[in-house]
Amino acid sequence: MADTSGRWLYAIARELDTDALTGLRGVAGAPVHVVEDAGLVAVVSAVDLAEFGAEPLKRNLEDLDWLAATARAHDAVVTTVGGAAPAAVPLRLATVCLGDDRVRELLIRRRPDLESALALLTGRTEWGVKAYADPDALAAADAPAEPGGQGGQGSKGGAGTAYLLRRKAQLSAREKAERNASAHADRLHRELAALATAARRHPPQDPKLSGRKGWNVLNGAYLVDDAKADELAAAVERLGGEVEGVRLELTGPWPAYSFAGVEQGAEEAAR
Amino acid sequence: MSENAHRHELTEHIDADPETVEKGLVSLVLTIVELLRQLMERQALRRVEDGKLSDEQVERIGLTLMRLEEKMGELRDHFGLEPEDLNIDLGPLGPLLAPE
Repeated sequence: MADTSGRWLYAIARELDTDALTGLRGVAGAPVHVVEDAGLVAVVSAVDLAEFGAEPLKRNLEDLDWLAATARAHDAVVTTVGGAAPAAVPLRLATVCLGDDRVRELLIRRRPDLESALALLTGRTEWGVKAYADPDALAAADAPAEPGGQGGQGSKGGAGTAYLLRRKAQLSAREKAERNASAHADRLHRELAALATAARRHPPQDPKLSGRKGWNVLNGAYLVDDAKADELAAAVERLGGEVEGVRLELTGPWPAYSFAGVEQGAEEAAR
Repeated sequence: MSENAHRHELTEHIDADPETVEKGLVSLVLTIVELLRQLMERQALRRVEDGKLSDEQVERIGLTLMRLEEKMGELRDHFGLEPEDLNIDLGPLGPLLAPE
């Protein structure tokens, strides 16, 4: 059994209240257990390598239903761990080790990074702020009232010339709106980052996935002192009302995926 | 037999439903046509700005681009595609076409 069984990693914490994990089940319904080494606690569960080994895993990750169920199970455990320890380093989906011994090895080898990540995360929480710009509202805000009314050049042309002039006005209004939106997003990020211990900008979200209209001009993550959480919420509120056509959205608290900073190495070590 | 096994492996990866394949192919082709249309339009606007074209030439280019846009709209409607379907996500480079 031990030979075919891998270990799926959820999170690594210090001073974890293990009672909180009683009866907790993770990916594929397996009960979670902990692997400890000198104060660091890794929360893991057994997974069948026929389903979670490198090759089958790659195939399964392309199956959206499988992925959704797995991600939900992973997230539930990570959230529970986060609530039961002063700080927890969440591991990205699909970090799999070959057995408890390899998990322990990982804890030993990555100790300095894990310690510093945990120190950074203690007493702080990750929040997400997204800004959506409505292109039409932005373009309307500073475009001339009537499109195509550019100089006297259009007066002598026919339908084709009028079309070109109209397109030109549309395109330049759009470009200007895009520039304004992106400059505004930079400013938003600077103001929010000033409240945070650490800040990161993620690539904008695909509107197809988020199901929201408008450009996602800012997709930021902010690691904020718990004492300053209210200040952040107030800042989001204030900044959201500043510019017509740009809407802000505060999400969280999240497991600190954006600031754990040990993922790359952990994944390499897990191989 | 080895060919069978190979084929089986392929169908696991590729959704070979004929209708989906056709729609995917159509949207790929239309995406490329739309890219060309937008490039031509930008080039035309630049040349008009340079002011070296006669009024007649400007009018003709405008009409051509206008019809091309109408045609694209008809084709999209025909295949049941939305404007935002005509794009390719180039990952770190962003989308192929700017949002219209």
